[in-house]
Amino acid sequence: MKKHKKNRNVAIIGIGQTHHSSHREDVNQPEMIHEAVERALKDAGIGIEDVDALVHGNMELFEMVHQPDLWHVIGTGGYGKACYRVTTGGTTGATIVGVGDNIVASGLHDIVMIIGFEKQQEGHTTGGITNMADPLWARNLQTGALTGATAEKTINEFGADRAKRAAMRLRVTLDKHASLNPHAHRNFGLDYDQIDDLMVNSPQLVGELRLIHMCSQSDGAVAIILACEEKAKKISKKPVWIRDHVTVHREETFNMFGINENQEVTHHNAARKLFGRNGITNPREYFDVFEMYDPSSWWGLDWLREFLQLEGDEHLKMVENDEVSINGSFPLNPSGGVISTNPIGATAALRVAEAALQVRGDAGAHQIPREVKHALASGFGGTFWTVLFMLEKDLDWQEAE
Amino acid sequence: MAKYFDVSVEDIFNTMEARFRVEGAKGVNAVLAYDISGDGGGKWLVEVRDDSVKVAKTDDLSGFSVKTSADAETFVGVNIGKIDGTQAFMSGKIKIEGDMALVAASAKMFTRYSLPKKSAVTVQGIFDTLVARFQPQNAAGLDISVGYDITGEDGGQWTAVIKDGKCALETGLRDNCAVVNIVKAKDYIDLILGKLDPMVAMGAGRLKLKGDMNVAMQLPKIFAKFEPPKEEEEQELIVIKRNISVDMKYSTGPVMGKFFEGLIEKKILANKCPKCGRMQVPPREVCAECRCWAGDMIEVGPSGTITLIEIIYYSSPDPLTGETRETPYAQVHILLDGIGTEETFWHLLKNEDLADTKKGDRVRPVWSDKRVGSVHDIIHFERIRD
Repeated sequence: MKKHKKNRNVAIIGIGQTHHSSHREDVNQPEMIHEAVERALKDAGIGIEDVDALVHGNMELFEMVHQPDLWHVIGTGGYGKACYRVTTGGTTGATIVGVGDNIVASGLHDIVMIIGFEKQQEGHTTGGITNMADPLWARNLQTGALTGATAEKTINEFGADRAKRAAMRLRVTLDKHASLNPHAHRNFGLDYDQIDDLMVNSPQLVGELRLIHMCSQSDGAVAIILACEEKAKKISKKPVWIRDHVTVHREETFNMFGINENQEVTHHNAARKLFGRNGITNPREYFDVFEMYDPSSWWGLDWLREFLQLEGDEHLKMVENDEVSINGSFPLNPSGGVISTNPIGATAALRVAEAALQVRGDAGAHQIPREVKHALASGFGGTFWTVLFMLEKDLDWQEAE
Repeated sequence: MAKYFDVSVEDIFNTMEARFRVEGAKGVNAVLAYDISGDGGGKWLVEVRDDSVKVAKTDDLSGFSVKTSADAETFVGVNIGKIDGTQAFMSGKIKIEGDMALVAASAKMFTRYSLPKKSAVTVQGIFDTLVARFQPQNAAGLDISVGYDITGEDGGQWTAVIKDGKCALETGLRDNCAVVNIVKAKDYIDLILGKLDPMVAMGAGRLKLKGDMNVAMQLPKIFAKFEPPKEEEEQELIVIKRNISVDMKYSTGPVMGKFFEGLIEKKILANKCPKCGRMQVPPREVCAECRCWAGDMIEVGPSGTITLIEIIYYSSPDPLTGETRETPYAQVHILLDGIGTEETFWHLLKNEDLADTKKGDRVRPVWSDKRVGSVHDIIHFERIRD
C-alpha cells in the first residue's frame, strides 16, 4: 500500500472544553462555545488574532438553527476570519478536526481552530436523529439511534450470558473512568458487583440494548487549535502531532442493519486503510490508548474488534480481563467516552482532544499511568460514517520511512 | 419516623392526594405501586382513575400497572428534587417494573412535594433587632423592665431593661418586670408581622399579659416596627420555547417513484445490478457496490423470511405525526423471496405476532385498502402460520 504523506505536518497546540451537563440553561449557545474557545486559546498561549481560520460544526437538526456559526461569532471570535461550517451527523466533531488537519497540511492556513458543540436540551435528540433518515422510506421506521441488532449479533455469536456480561463489564469500566474525569457529564458510581443486576433490571430500549448501555444527551462544546509544524514548534512546548486521519463511509441507509455479515463495516475498513498506509501491523501493540466513539456498550464492545482487526473472541477477552481499563494494557476511553458525555457535534472532537491530552500527559485524574506515545481516536455517525485519527507524541515516523 | 432531607416517606404519600392535578391525569387509568425499603419505608398503592386518585398504604401490591422500588432515602430525595431521578434510575437505585411511560406521566399527575415553608422570621431574629428598634424619644423618663416569655418550639425568655433613655436586652426573665408578654412563638411572630391582631389574640387567650397593661400598650411606641428581612427570590432563567411544525414534501424520483407505484398495485419491486447481480429493495439509482446504473425492476416477495427482529420498548415519537408510539412494537428485516442473500427489507411486524415470532419465521405483507404510494401501503408484515 502507498505510504501516507502529508504536505506538511500538523499539530494540536491548544485544547479547551466546557463542563458538560444535561442542562446548560445558564448560558446561550455563543456563550457556551466561548467557554471552550477561551480555554483552548489559553491552553495554547495565543490570542484569537493569531488564529487564521475556524471550522465550526454541530448537527443542525438538534437545535434547529440554520448557520449557527453566524450567531456564534461573538462566542467564537470568528469575525472577519475564514470560516468553514461542517455537519456530518455524529461524526461532525471528527470531521471538523479532519478539515482542520487538511487545511493546515495543505498550506492554506497556519493556525486553525476547530469548534464542535451541541445543546441537546434545546431540541429533541431522538426526533433529530430520526429526521436524518431518508424521508422516502427509512424515516417512517427509524427509532433515533437505537438498535438492538449488535446485541443480538453478539449474543448469537458468544452466547447470551457471556455477551451480556462483557457489554455490562465494559459499561461499568467506562463509568469508573468517567468518575475520574471532572468534565464528564454522567457517572453513576457503578461497580462490577452490579453487573448481574443491571443485566436484568436496566430497562430495555430495543431488544437487549438497555438504558444503561446507551450514551447520554449532553450540552457542551470543545475547541481544538491546530498549527503547522513551524508555528507549532514555536508556540507549543507539547505539540501533539496528527500523523494521519482517514474518512470512510458507504451507502448503508437501507441495509445498515441488514444481514450481510460478510460486508466489511466502515470501522474495519477505515482502520485497515489507516494502519496499512502507516505500516502499523499490530495496532494493539502500537497504540497506548484509544478514545473510541462508543454510542452504546454493545457497539463499544463490537467495534473494538473492528478497529483493532481482531479475530474470534479477542475483544471480549480484552474486556473480561480488564485490559481496556485505565490501568490495563490497552486503555479504552479513559475519559469515560461517549457513553458518559455526548454533546453530539463536539463528541467526536472530544475523542481527539482527550487522546491528545493523554499524549501530552495532561489528562489529570484520568491520565493513564504510563507514557503515551501513540494514540488512536475515532468518530462515528450518520449511517456508519467513520473517521479515524492517529496521534503521535514525537515527530519521528517520517525518518523511519 | 425516619426523615431524609427533613421529609419522611409518609409525608410524600400523605400529601399525594392533595398534590393531584386533574388536568395532568386525563385519560389515565392506572395503579402505581411503590415498594419503599429501609427505615420509614413501606408499600403504597396509588390508584389513578381519570380525574380521581386514591392513595393507600398496603401489604399487597398485586395488580399494579407499574411498580417503583427504591430505598427510602432515594425515594424522598428524588421526590423533593435533592437526588437526580434519572441518575438514581440508571445506577439501579430505583427499579421500575411494568409500564415505564407511567412513571414519566406521573410527574404531570402530581405537583412536586415541597417542604412546608418555614418562616424566614424567627423569634431570635426579632429579639436580635429589638435594641436597634428602641425609640429613646418615646421612652423618656421610663425605668422599667419588660419581660417576654415566648413558649413552644424556637421560643425563649428575654427581658428588655429600659432606663435613662437606653435599652438593654437580657436573656431570661427578671423578677421585677413591669409587664410580661406570654405567647407561643408562632403567634408572637404573627403578632410582630401584623398577621395576628393583639386584641383578637388576647381575647382568644393566645396572648397573655402579666402585670401593667398600660406599659404593654406603650410598647408599639417604644419599639419601632419590626421589618422582616427581604426574602431573596430565586432567579428564574428565561427560556424561550418554540414548537416548529413545517409541512414538507419530498420528490420520489423515477426509481423510488416506480417502487411506490408498485406498492399501489400490491407489488414489491427491486432492481438488479447488471454487473454483480445484486438486488436492491427499495430500489436505488445505482448499485451501491459497483457504482453503475442499476437495471430492471423485478417483482420480489411479497412474502419473506425474517432475518432480524428488533423489539422496541422505548417510546419514540413518530416523525410524521409527532405522536409517541405505543410500545412494545417490533421492526423486522425481511429477506423477501427472490431477492438473493443479502438485501433485507425493513418494515414493521403485526403487534399480535410479537410474542412468538423469531428470526427465520415466514411473513407476508398486510396491505392497506387505501394505497397511495407510501411506506404505509403495507400496514405491517404478519406471520404466516399455515
